[in-house]
This record gives sequence, structure tokens and C-alpha cells, in this order.
Amino acid sequence: MIAVDIISDGIFAAVAAMGFGAISDPPLRAFKFIALLAAVGHAARYCLMTFLGVDIASASLVAALIIGTGSVWCGKRVSCPMTVLYIPALLPMVPGTYAYKTVFSLIMFLQNISSPTQGAEYLQSMLFNGSVAGSVLFMLAVGATIPVFLLRSKAYSMTRNSKYL
Amino acid sequence: MTQEYVNDIADFISRYISHMLGAGVHTSRVVRNSKRIGEALGADVRIHTSQKTATLTVCSKDGKTMNTRVLDIPGFPISFEWNADLSALSWAAYDNEMSLDAIRHKFDEIVSKPKMNPWFVLFMVGLANASFCRLFGGDIWAMLVVFTSTLVGFFTRQHLTRRGVNHYIVFIVSAFVASLCASSALSLGLETAEIALATSVLYLVPGVPLINGVIDITDGHIQIGISRIVNALMLIICIAIGMSATLMLVKDSLL
Repeated sequence: MIAVDIISDGIFAAVAAMGFGAISDPPLRAFKFIALLAAVGHAARYCLMTFLGVDIASASLVAALIIGTGSVWCGKRVSCPMTVLYIPALLPMVPGTYAYKTVFSLIMFLQNISSPTQGAEYLQSMLFNGSVAGSVLFMLAVGATIPVFLLRSKAYSMTRNSKYL
Repeated sequence: MTQEYVNDIADFISRYISHMLGAGVHTSRVVRNSKRIGEALGADVRIHTSQKTATLTVCSKDGKTMNTRVLDIPGFPISFEWNADLSALSWAAYDNEMSLDAIRHKFDEIVSKPKMNPWFVLFMVGLANASFCRLFGGDIWAMLVVFTSTLVGFFTRQHLTRRGVNHYIVFIVSAFVASLCASSALSLGLETAEIALATSVLYLVPGVPLINGVIDITDGHIQIGISRIVNALMLIICIAIGMSATLMLVKDSLL
């Protein structure tokens, strides 16, 4: 049952990454690797958070590291820069709900400004949602960029001798 | 190297930069690729970038002739295909010692390639948001509701964008439309109606500029990174405004 959960998490994340990536017009040859990277990354984050109780920011960092390292290998095969593969693969993990809930908390705080107890509650929820959104986003981008810094010469020549030009 | 030739190089590289930056490529890649093309043509290239304009200097190796200009960065839709192919072009120019005319010809070919079919994108986005709803724990009926409301919402967005409506208004309206459609889950009495409502607007979240912004900051292009993030935050505020209109109508509370 656990295996089914993990695999279905990976599959749905892959579909989500391909769909959200499609808005940004990636090359068709990149889709299969975007799907693969998103599935592996998201399933890894799911495992860390559900079974090991890791917090969302650290789990996102690990997932992004996996996706970033994978895109070094995949990028060379389809002659795509790493960002073309790892940004769409990271999209399902972008903390969108936390981000707009931050704005909601602000609006609710302003509406309850005359009641100090409720106002403080909404202010607290704004800080909570905002800091989760900010740190997860930061961890995602930094985690995926670390392989670029480690494998600099390889990462910078992904599109060299591209046969798709 | 004659002044005309330096001018021609600057003409081409300014087009290259405005297409790359306009299509949402992170700054350090644009700078690196432009320098590489300059190197291939035997000139030094230096660039200063900001959100809507860039300054470019092309200088011959001996430093005797140069051309400096400020260029506007138009807002192209984000395109990873341009990112991949224009990067490959810079390497091809460098490795094969292509002439300026050959590079220019190839560039025109790449940027005039047809984009992905909008109906296909619409369908994919619907599927993506439905699977997203599943990841958040929605059941099959919630997924169906999210699929439909995303189709309606993204169609609205495509249509309004094509008409040239201000993009903040586009985001407010599409978030409102999508969440209003998804609020039908509440009246249908679905178990996971809340999840359907919460995920229905997530297709609008500007993930690419947000990630690009952080990448730029880690690369040391802090100013443009912050501009990208602030731009994306404005869009998130618009999503929240559009969605809060729906929530006020159907639930009378936001959280």
C-alpha cells in the first residue's frame, strides 16, 4: 500500500509538472525528462515528509538536490540547459497555497483590526504562511542550483554540439 | 575591425539579449551566452541588466572601436524552447566559427518557430491542476471539478492575454473565474470541496519567475532577482484578490 502511495504521488507530480511546464513552452524533447525528474523529486519529498517526519523546507531542499543532479545527466542527452529541465520539474513543489494564504491572512487581519485577539491570530498566521512559502521557495531554487556550482564546466556546456539546432 | 562591423554585432547581440531576457531566461546565462557570441565574432561584450532595460557595450579586441546602447526588454511569453535553442546557437557560433550573417539567419529561424498549440496547452494545464488537487488529497470528484474550472479559468487567461489586457487584471479575473467554478464543489456537497477550491487557482502561480529570481540572487545578480520576485509577488497578490472575491461570495471568510 505504501509503495502504491509513493508511485501514485510520483505519477501525479509528473503530470502536474508537464502541464504547468507546458505554459512556458518547453521543447517537446524535454517532456519525458521533466516528467521523470518531477516524479522522482516529488516522491522523494513525499517519503521524507510522511515517513521520516522531515519538515517541508528541508525535504524540498533534498528533492531539489535530486532534481538538479538528475538534470545534469538528462540535460546532456536532450541538449537542454539544466534550467529548462529543473524549473518545470520544481513547479509542482512551488508553495502556491502558502503564498496566497499569506495575502488572505493580511486581508483578514485588516478586517479584524479592532479585535486584538483575533487580529493577533491572523498576524501570526500571516507570518507562518509567509515564512514557509519564502523558505521553501528559497530551498527549491538553491537546492537545484548547487549541482550547477559543483559541476560548473559540465553544467555550462549542456547545449554544446546540439543536434536539435 | 571596422566601426560598421562592431555596430552590426551590437545590433544582433541586442536582439539576442532582448529575446532571451524577455522570454524569462535567468540573467547569468544570458550574459554568458552573449559574451560567447561576442567571443566567436572577435569582440568583447559587456552587459548591465535590469528588469525592463539593458545596457550593452560591444568593443573590438584592440579597444579602438566600440558601440554602446541601451535597449528595451519587451515582455515575451516565457519560452524554454528559445532558452534551449538560443543557448545551443551560442555554442554553435563559438565552435564552428559561424559568420554574423549565418548566426543571424539561424536566430531568425529559431525565434519564428511556431509555439505549442494553445488548445494542447489548455488541456495539459487542466490535467496538471487536477493531479495537483490529487496531491493535496482531493478525491476523483474534486479532481473533475478542478479540471473543469481550470479549463475555464485558463481559457479566460489565454483569451484576455491575446486581447492585450493588463496582466494584473488578467490574473484577478482568471483567479475569480476559476475559483467561482470550483466553488460549485461546495454546493454539490463534495467531501473534499475545500481542497478543490484551494487548488483551483494554483495554475496561475508564477513559479518560473519566482525560481528564476532566487537563481539570479544566488548568481549575484541581486537587483534583477529581486525585481523578478517582486513582480511575481504582485501577481500572487492579484490571485489572492480574485480568489477572495469568490470566497467572500460563497463562504464569508477567507481562511
